[in-house]
Amino acid sequence: MDDSSVQKSFERLGLPSDASMLEIEQSFRELRNLYRKKSLATYSLMDEEESQEKLSSLQEAYDQILQARQSVSSNDKSKSAPEVSVATPAAESRVVVVDADPSQNPGLFLQQMREAQGLSLRDVADWTKVSTTYLQSIEQQKFDSLPAPVYVRGFLKSYCQRVKLAEARLVIDSFMDLFQSR
Amino acid sequence: MLGSVDSSIEPPGPRIWAIGGGKGGVGKSVISTGIAMTLARQGQRCIMVDADLGGANLHTFLGMSHPKGSLSDLFLKKVTDLEEILQPSSFDNLSLISGARAMLDMANLNYLQKLKMIRQIFSLKADHIFIDLGAGSSYNVLDFFIAAHDGLMVVMPTPTSIENAYHFLRAVYFRKLRKVVRDLKAEQLVDTALSDKVKSGVRSPRELMLDLLCRDNVVGKKINQTMKNFSPQLIINQAQLIEGRELGRDIVLACREFFGIDVTLSGIVRTDDRVLTSLKAQRPVLDMFPNCFFAEDIRSIVQQSTYEQKA
Repeated sequence: MDDSSVQKSFERLGLPSDASMLEIEQSFRELRNLYRKKSLATYSLMDEEESQEKLSSLQEAYDQILQARQSVSSNDKSKSAPEVSVATPAAESRVVVVDADPSQNPGLFLQQMREAQGLSLRDVADWTKVSTTYLQSIEQQKFDSLPAPVYVRGFLKSYCQRVKLAEARLVIDSFMDLFQSR
Repeated sequence: MLGSVDSSIEPPGPRIWAIGGGKGGVGKSVISTGIAMTLARQGQRCIMVDADLGGANLHTFLGMSHPKGSLSDLFLKKVTDLEEILQPSSFDNLSLISGARAMLDMANLNYLQKLKMIRQIFSLKADHIFIDLGAGSSYNVLDFFIAAHDGLMVVMPTPTSIENAYHFLRAVYFRKLRKVVRDLKAEQLVDTALSDKVKSGVRSPRELMLDLLCRDNVVGKKINQTMKNFSPQLIINQAQLIEGRELGRDIVLACREFFGIDVTLSGIVRTDDRVLTSLKAQRPVLDMFPNCFFAEDIRSIVQQSTYEQKA
């Protein structure tokens, strides 16, 4: 792939080209959110058409970066893979694509965020003190095997903290909406 | 940080704060008075300069009904030095240079008058100097904002205030760019870039900077570096905490994304009726209600920005 166009994609996300997967993920999500929602901060800066344009250029940049990272990690594991991905040995330096929509499928989104950082369910359980069974039920959105909403909200909060999620509220609220309207 | 090397060589002068933000009535004076009083109480010598020529009323915020000297005396050559019109307020460590009774045309200072005033402000004997700017994006306002160490923009969570703040930000940016370009004698480069902008699709400062880099790597890089230092601070006034934080984050992101300008969020000042009460009583909020939301939020802004200055 053309290096300079990948470079441009990183610039598009406002990141240096050695950004971690997590940074890429967060920057992409933040910007996408900025263009998607109607905010006081942006309505005077762009019209509907421009925001659509920006959104698709953002998506393009993101896809290109992921593709580039994936080919790097499969071609040349020994050199650059450990640096560019946040994967730990446990995850076999596999680059996990986070493509779930946090508002549609918050459980899967959390699972992908976790895997992208090379964390096992056990890792998250140790840190959050939430059992792996519950964590798995969260990821798979098995609402019936989860306890009362007040506990689940707490679980989600610590889960989000563990995977260093900037926009935790969106995930938690979407999950709770689904959970309570089941 | 790069700046820390320089600051050790620099003679320890006052720290200059300029408070602007485009729209009138968003709380620039209330907030600058609040910050000044907070620092004054910590034993720092503070001077407030009312640079809202033509609409000066900082003295009222400080509870001084008739300021004696005024900036107008300086321009009418009644006095030669800013020190002569410095008046102590009724609070320790806090004095005022009033802009009251400025004559109508005085709102339009010429460039030399402005330079002279900026030089004098920098040589005042104090730890902190607050330049309270008027509304709008006139050259007077922009030049003081650029000259200051800390440029604070006060914004309210209303469409009009945010629109004006963006306009202000862009105006400051291009005013500063002009200066930088003049110093580097690169007028031609930038002028061609700007006149070709329709063709090359340059619409924002961010795109202009990238375009300049393509045109001339060396000079473009220098301009880029100097302009990167331009990093105004943002205060969201009269907001709810959560709403304010979210808006602040959005504005910071939008400024980076659309203008390529790094704005930092200094803090949120919550809506507080006691601000109005104290204003009606012609007393500073921090004096009348030292423990209200407003005072609390101002203190955390001061704490954060003095922490960052040290870092």
